[in-house]
Amino acid sequence: MQSFQLSKTVSIGRRSLMIAAAAVGMTLPAAVHAQAGEDIVIGGSIPMTGVFAFAGVGINAGIADYVKIVNDAGGIKGRKLRYVPEDTAYKVDVSVAAYKKITSQNKVNLYYGDSTGFAKTINPELERNGQILMAGASFATELNDPKKYPHQFLVGPDYSEQVGILLRHIAKEKPGAKVAFVYSDTEFGRDPIETSEAAAKKLGLSVPIKIMTPPGSVDVSTEVIKLRRAAPDYTIFHGYILAPIPEFIQQGKQMGMTSKWMGTFWTMDSSTVMKLGEAGDGFMGVMPFRYYYDTSAKAPMLDKIRAMRPEYQSTAYTQGFLTAMLFTEAAKRTLDAGKPLTGDNLKAALNSIKDFDTGGIIGTPISMPGNSIPVGRVYRADMKAQRMVPASDWISVGK
Amino acid sequence: MRIGTLKESYVADAALFDSATQKLWLGAGAALLVLFPFMASDYWLYLACLVAINVASAAGLNILTGYTGLVSLGQAAFMGLGAYTVAILQTRWGTPFLLNILAGGVVAMLGGLVVGIPSLRVKGLYLAIATIAASFIAHFLFANLSITGGTGGLAVPPASVMGVALDTSFRIYWLIVPVTLVLLLGAANLFRTRIGRAFIAIRDRDISAEVLGIPLLRYKLLSFGLSSFYAGIAGGLWAYFFRVVTPESFPLQMSIFFLAAIIVGGMGTILGSILGAVFMTMVPELLKFVFDLLPSTGHDMKVFLSPVRTVVFGLLIVGFLIFEPHGLAEVWRRIRRFFHLWPFRN
Repeated sequence: MQSFQLSKTVSIGRRSLMIAAAAVGMTLPAAVHAQAGEDIVIGGSIPMTGVFAFAGVGINAGIADYVKIVNDAGGIKGRKLRYVPEDTAYKVDVSVAAYKKITSQNKVNLYYGDSTGFAKTINPELERNGQILMAGASFATELNDPKKYPHQFLVGPDYSEQVGILLRHIAKEKPGAKVAFVYSDTEFGRDPIETSEAAAKKLGLSVPIKIMTPPGSVDVSTEVIKLRRAAPDYTIFHGYILAPIPEFIQQGKQMGMTSKWMGTFWTMDSSTVMKLGEAGDGFMGVMPFRYYYDTSAKAPMLDKIRAMRPEYQSTAYTQGFLTAMLFTEAAKRTLDAGKPLTGDNLKAALNSIKDFDTGGIIGTPISMPGNSIPVGRVYRADMKAQRMVPASDWISVGK
Repeated sequence: MRIGTLKESYVADAALFDSATQKLWLGAGAALLVLFPFMASDYWLYLACLVAINVASAAGLNILTGYTGLVSLGQAAFMGLGAYTVAILQTRWGTPFLLNILAGGVVAMLGGLVVGIPSLRVKGLYLAIATIAASFIAHFLFANLSITGGTGGLAVPPASVMGVALDTSFRIYWLIVPVTLVLLLGAANLFRTRIGRAFIAIRDRDISAEVLGIPLLRYKLLSFGLSSFYAGIAGGLWAYFFRVVTPESFPLQMSIFFLAAIIVGGMGTILGSILGAVFMTMVPELLKFVFDLLPSTGHDMKVFLSPVRTVVFGLLIVGFLIFEPHGLAEVWRRIRRFFHLWPFRN
């Protein structure tokens, strides 16, 4: 369409051009005025149905709640936030359709994407558009590259950094420990393995075995036997939500394994870990945010969430909530600097965040020099209390 | 009312478009396709391109399943072969995009010929299971070969014409839609030839077809080859459209999607491929608009209504299968017949 309009514009006469210029001149102040008062739009490709709906519903509620908090407080410099979500069923083509629909109907400034596949697919479009800053549900290491993905960021540590946090904890708890990696044969599962193996060696840990399983596999008895032979002190699962982690733990324990079991973000929601049952007691994992019920330290923003929603909210909710908070902060800093809300300006504003207080959602002040927030904490499952309890202090793996 | 169509030769009788009215409507349709990009928003253009890609692939599957009677669940794998071929040629050698797309079709066709070999011994569900193997093997190769970029896949630079990158839905529309139209024309013409009629004979009764002198080996493999060629071309267009190709881009569910499309649209008709692909792609999107019209659609309401929308879509598919097992193409034919005979009853 643009090329067509361009060729048409080139062919029109000088007089028409002057008239057009005058018309633009007359309408420009009005446009600027309109922009000053217009809503700041957060679009969202949200998986409300499909395999990732368990997280999408929480993410949606988290973003919507923070938007409400900001708007109730008067918005950002008098401008209201408007959240426009669309269901994607966790399919990349539907996510792109949602993006196109939302951006066709609204002047979008900020966007939440639902998957790594979507983040990679939409990246050229974000570059071309130049007006949008995007975050999402993905923690893919590949996205943590400001040169390749200049208008995107991760709300938390990337998968390599998540495993890095676990490895730091292990190296401190048991120097020279043997660590096994069990991961799914997917892009998600394979993501941190190579870099994490190198990171383990650097920390003086050994990796006696890496086991890759088909996604959604149930019968893992052969793999458990291999794992038992390697006798790791710690086993880190990655690339799963739950299955086949319970099978590994139950069979491993029956075979007398003494390994400690660990997971990464998408396994670590309280409701997911509790499904492990008694066998999951002591299961550990990395979590970049405080759990909904964590009252171990002052956290005014969590208090606010608990007041708004008295029932337990998932870590996906917290991730959505924090995403909206960072979106808001980037927009606020951009407007404070008197700059228009473009992708470049929003990202620069986001990168200017240093020692930022998230209201206790993350238990330490955060900075965002690149595309991720390389901070997290190890939590441990207490099955008696049916809660995740802190097992470490906040660990930063930033460069 | 259409009284009749006079035909004075066999050529006229076998013509693809046999009446002035039909040609008029086709002309109007072509004009609409040309004007559409200038009228539609980016969203509708995106959907138009997506529909066109799905139509191309569904047409290929209809050649195999609808016309030849060989059930396949490997269509997504063949699309993947086409998409990866395009991605590799474009990123490594920067060869012209039309050549890349054609190469994608040829590579997928070769894959189809190999996968089609079991069709000589097994039919129906057994063949469907055999073709699922193609999906798993293709996924394994895509995820583990270094040339395919492993699990991370490949980013594809946009196709370009004389320095103009086809990097927007508006621009790539002019590649995807014409290619799909050519494929559809080819498929429609195929069934006016001996090859197409041989496919139909095999579908209706393969032993009888062999007795009539149709070599089953050659024609079943040819059907597999043609079907996967279409899938490969569709995959190539997909690669230029989405510009990222990963092993997870072409899951088994995608093959089921195409099978559902031709069943809903109408097996053994080209029109069925078009209507089925349009239905399967567009109805979930259109349902979103319908549900948005419902009162008090806040964010929480959206969360509640999204699964309901999915259920409604499923019910629509089941409804079509129960009330019109011959698919949307038959519904379309009935509507046409009504207008042909109007004001008389059919």
